[in-house]
Amino acid sequence: MNPDDLKYHKEHTWVRISGKRGTIGITDYAQDALGDIVYIDLPEADASIEANSEISEIESTKATSSVISPVSGKITKVNEELSESPEIINEDPYGKGWVAVVELENPEEVDDLMDSSEYEKYVEEEAK
Amino acid sequence: MRLAVLGAGPGGYVAAIKAAQLGAEVIVIEGDEVGGTCLNWGCIPTKTLIASTEVFSKAKELDKFGIDLKGEIMPNLEKIIERKNKVVSTQVKGIRGLFKSWGVVLKEGRGVLTSAREISVTMKDGGREKVEADRIIIATGSRPASIPTFPFDGKKIISSNEAINLTDIPKSLLIIGAGVIGCEFACIYRELGSEVTMIEMLPRAVATEDYEISDLLEKELKKKKIKLYTDTRVNGVDVRDDGVHALLSDGKELTAEKVLVSIGRTFNSDKIGAEAIGINKGKGGEILVNDRMETSIPGVYAVGDVTGGLLLAHVASKEGLVAAENIMGGGDIIDYSVVPAAIFTSPEIASVGLREHQAAEKDIKVRIGHFEFRALGKAHAMGEIAGFIKIIAEASTDKIVGSHIIGPHASDLIHEYAIAMENGLTARDVADTIHAHPTLSEGLMEAAEDVHGEAIHVLKK
Repeated sequence: MNPDDLKYHKEHTWVRISGKRGTIGITDYAQDALGDIVYIDLPEADASIEANSEISEIESTKATSSVISPVSGKITKVNEELSESPEIINEDPYGKGWVAVVELENPEEVDDLMDSSEYEKYVEEEAK
Repeated sequence: MRLAVLGAGPGGYVAAIKAAQLGAEVIVIEGDEVGGTCLNWGCIPTKTLIASTEVFSKAKELDKFGIDLKGEIMPNLEKIIERKNKVVSTQVKGIRGLFKSWGVVLKEGRGVLTSAREISVTMKDGGREKVEADRIIIATGSRPASIPTFPFDGKKIISSNEAINLTDIPKSLLIIGAGVIGCEFACIYRELGSEVTMIEMLPRAVATEDYEISDLLEKELKKKKIKLYTDTRVNGVDVRDDGVHALLSDGKELTAEKVLVSIGRTFNSDKIGAEAIGINKGKGGEILVNDRMETSIPGVYAVGDVTGGLLLAHVASKEGLVAAENIMGGGDIIDYSVVPAAIFTSPEIASVGLREHQAAEKDIKVRIGHFEFRALGKAHAMGEIAGFIKIIAEASTDKIVGSHIIGPHASDLIHEYAIAMENGLTARDVADTIHAHPTLSEGLMEAAEDVHGEAIHVLKK
């Protein structure tokens, strides 16, 4: 299930807010739709990113797909472990499979994102 | 007809055999070894090295293929080079055998034109000979271009000529120039374990390819942890005890065990007597020829790299055929409209015809078909799913005007589209042809179908 403490973007990414920082990842729905992930083109630490724009590209055995950031800010940390073992995203999308940590530029952006129950409804609609 | 051919590379030796087949008495003059750059220093040596690195790469994945290995696997560059030398010498013998069988006489020495009908040869054994002929073909090729401020020393600052013969794997390798040669060596030495950094002054790697191809190659290089600096120049190189230091235009300084300079090639049009007999040359020193491959001096022809244009072995060979036909009374004209070309990076790249941006520049309205290798069962079975097939068809006629492939066996796959283009076939023609399953060639059919949005193994857009 999608954790309640996260906020969700319609491009199937999530952000976990902790003070001025947000941790970003892709949702369980996204990893399931992609199938076995074989590579993630990680963003650079220190890069400035914008909400609704691509920060990374994920390749699975089925497809290549963009990771769209739910928030704007500056990347302070990336999950280097994923470059050797991208399959962690499949195994634990909301935990060890996090992609990057961002110092939030506009914390109010988070208000535009969905909560877990809204996201679940959204995914159900998409699946129809 | 007595023909003298100066240079026995893929331009010269093919011309020589063709002319002999058509009845000429042929003398070939070669100062190095038959087969030229292609066989001795370029295409074949690098592909042999790549065959070894591919085996090594697969061996590292044995587990994925369900094979258990007990013990360690290690590349042994000395043995890899030994194998390369064996492959090359077999091919050299093959050409020498062809010469013998067609009665082509090989003079081993350096030739210089002394007139439009005479070549003076300094033989390898020190003697001198004059070769008189009714016609001459210059096929002297090209050599690695050097940067004057830091010329090759053959040890720390090397060209591709040395890169195919290293016996120790360098810990780190800095490659100046991310063109075809630079990218091939980057993949070879990265696979062997070198830390590889590439510097390219243009905005992209393999800049002459379709942009989507170079984008994907750059991503694949990144996956291999090959560092690439584009839009960057090397301002200076300093050989010190701790390695070669390179100063980049952005102020950065990089250090590597060796520097490979692969910035292009220089035409071997000097030191062959071309000036003395008044042969016209272009700005880059290339020998100018007409579409019959004849130079400004009647009866003197030139083919291959030395004439500039596309520096490709197979183009040289075609030019050699055209020159030989014309010398023997034919009326052949060279046509460069369909020239497939391959780059043996990992994954492989192949192209034919227009790039998408070239079509736009020429104001040709096109439709693009795309197909990802990862949508093919065969690619999954092989464990090589990266890459795609792109096909460009003219919108009004559906005729194929270009194709760009990056992925497994791209260099073999491209020829289906090349034949289609040579014969004016449409994307529909390819799509309508049954392709065997399970093959990579199915992707060519699907890409052609995708031109009309009809590919089966593509999600609805």
